[in-house]
Amino acid sequence: MDYFELFGLPRALGIDIGSLEKTFHELSRKYHPDYFTTAPEAQQTQALRMTALLNDAYRTLKHPIRRVEYLLSLEGFKPDGSRVPQALLMEVFEINEQMEKVKSGSASVEQIDSLRAQIHEKRDRFDTELQKASEQWDELLKSGAAESKLKEQLAELTKVLSESSYIRNLERDLEEH
Amino acid sequence: MSKIVGIDLGTTNSLVAIVEEGGAPRVIADLDGSKLVPSVIYFDQAGEVLVGNRAKEKMIDKPENTIFSIKRFMGKGINDVREDLPLLPFNVSADSEHIIRLKIFGRDYTPPELSAFILRDLKRNAEAALGEEIKNAVITVPAYFNDAQRQATKDAGRIAGLDVLRIVNEPTAASLAYGLDKKNQGTIAVFDFGGGTFDISILKLTEGIFEVLSTSGDTHLGGDDIDEQLIRLVLADLKEIGEQELALRPQIPAIRKAVNKAKEALSSTETADIVVENLQYRRSMSRTEFNKLIEPIIERTLRPCRQALQDAGLKPPEIDEVVMVGGSTRIPLVRQRVQELFGRGPHTELNPDEVVALGAAVQADILAGSKRDMLLLDVTPLSLGIETMGGVMSKIIPRNSTIPASATEMFTSFVEGQTNVKIHVLQGERELVKDCRSLAQFDLKDIPPMPAGMPRIEVKFLIDADGILSVSAREQRTGKYQSIEVKPTYGLTDEQVEQMILESFEYAEADIEARQVIEARNEAETVLNATAKGLADEQYAQLPVEEKAEISAAAEHLREVMRTQDHHAIRHGIDRLGQATMHLAELIMNAAIAKALKDKRVREIQ
Repeated sequence: MDYFELFGLPRALGIDIGSLEKTFHELSRKYHPDYFTTAPEAQQTQALRMTALLNDAYRTLKHPIRRVEYLLSLEGFKPDGSRVPQALLMEVFEINEQMEKVKSGSASVEQIDSLRAQIHEKRDRFDTELQKASEQWDELLKSGAAESKLKEQLAELTKVLSESSYIRNLERDLEEH
Repeated sequence: MSKIVGIDLGTTNSLVAIVEEGGAPRVIADLDGSKLVPSVIYFDQAGEVLVGNRAKEKMIDKPENTIFSIKRFMGKGINDVREDLPLLPFNVSADSEHIIRLKIFGRDYTPPELSAFILRDLKRNAEAALGEEIKNAVITVPAYFNDAQRQATKDAGRIAGLDVLRIVNEPTAASLAYGLDKKNQGTIAVFDFGGGTFDISILKLTEGIFEVLSTSGDTHLGGDDIDEQLIRLVLADLKEIGEQELALRPQIPAIRKAVNKAKEALSSTETADIVVENLQYRRSMSRTEFNKLIEPIIERTLRPCRQALQDAGLKPPEIDEVVMVGGSTRIPLVRQRVQELFGRGPHTELNPDEVVALGAAVQADILAGSKRDMLLLDVTPLSLGIETMGGVMSKIIPRNSTIPASATEMFTSFVEGQTNVKIHVLQGERELVKDCRSLAQFDLKDIPPMPAGMPRIEVKFLIDADGILSVSAREQRTGKYQSIEVKPTYGLTDEQVEQMILESFEYAEADIEARQVIEARNEAETVLNATAKGLADEQYAQLPVEEKAEISAAAEHLREVMRTQDHHAIRHGIDRLGQATMHLAELIMNAAIAKALKDKRVREIQ
């Protein structure tokens, strides 16, 4: 059973968080190991597995980026956040240079702040793109588009997600130093 | 199902609590009426062990065989606690690299074995109060405890003869105790600052569901650190007047007691004296001075608070309630800092020493199946990861994931015919393996020999509801489950725990003995009550004088033997009183039957 099925949802990316939480609570009340302490061992193990699956699913689906990653993995696509995004080829050299300075500890507070602002601006740009691509996916799904159209859109999502992961990795590197 | 108790196994004090038949949770006192059992264990040369208040009395005279704050050593190796050791009077065994072992009269004890003495004492207190054997328990741990520390706590339970049905996080337990009579919506922050550990947990309450959003903390930050700061101050004073460091060492327990007393006093008074009579030392301390001294320690609690807020995606004004737990939250400066951070006054209605045990009892009641409307959803405090190429940690379950949680990873072989794959599992937030906590080495064995890269071994990592990891693996091409050998980095193997259970059998025997005494006493109580009723019955007057005399002599005798620890004697006393009252019981019974018959006749006539 995949995460969408567990929550009784189509493979769409627009998810209402409030109703997701409600279902999560309902299913937790049904399967949680706390309610099976006195049950036979096989049932206890089942409750543990089921609740772990439920928690993994909830953690994945409630997070907008993990949700896209998961959909792509279900559909056999694999984003790669280690490649420099096309749109950033020009700027990345400069960003990396500044990052080296931060890592070596020679960057001033102002320089770090300026780098952070640059990265945030790019992150927001990719987030908007990801949001747009997600909405397009949902449209196609709803309108019952042809398999080839869907595949095309998944490829697009993979590309945008790879780019956004690249930025997110930069952001993480910055915050960890 | 038999009763399940809730246990707060604390650094300074431990408590046991229970919920009985839908009632409110209550802490169970020991035979002397004390609810707090100091987490202190004293060993004497003859092998006798004292726990609690009686052990605490020995701390100054017999420091090297009186063990305290053992919780700080749970799941740790010697390198983790090196800083503390100079101020502690214990003899640490040479074999302490991965598990600290304390040498007491030539025998090594691990922290789980020592904690088991405290658990056994609490178990005995509960059995005495409830009049039945207690086998099941919920035990609390700091939310920020890692896998090894949780496992060590579970091991301690097993060694003490308890089936640990659940390990619950202390702040979460506290929220359960508070949540009972609070409105059931909103976010709460639990600030738990105890004797040895600090936790902050942020929860969301929705119709009986207690969902932890995030947790953070420091498992080596508590009242003990404040004591140690004060001890260092006293030592510095004494060295200034020419005392020698080495000569002072044996005096540290007395100094510890003195500073602890002054610290506690300063929560309610503006000044207090630190007095160490043996050393003719006296120093007055104002609260301002005290605050300045402890400020850096209190400061260390605030960073985890900010982290937890950030992880929960909340700002301080979005927290509806702040709850204070743990003895160190009595310190006015702590309350002040918490108030400043969250912008609201914290809840302190429940006794901060008892609230965790009460919550553990509530969780025990949920597990017993009596409270289906409440459910606790807790999280794992630290990210779980595996070692990858170049000593980098690759996270597979992020921190603050609701537990149980799982992750699946694929592994393969690097050389042709390779039949083993090693997996190094870690916990922590840092990028490099060396900065994370090593949990265990898993050795996947008996992989079918195949060309390099061909085997597809699916490894499933599962963190259960106790926050403890288990690993299973399956080779996908053959569908065969792999055998896994686990080497915990900081902890006991299953075999070692089994061995300790065997070794603790002598104590278990003492437990059985104690339980038999309790049961006999309870029965004697029942028989004496029945006898008292018989004496008040009108049939009593009909007994011959010598029978009356024997009844009173037998009752008196039973009352006397009840005070001893000899359950055989109590049983004999019960039998003797039973014999003595047999005739009286017969008379009362006959009279009751006669009366019933008479009533029936009266009704029939009417």
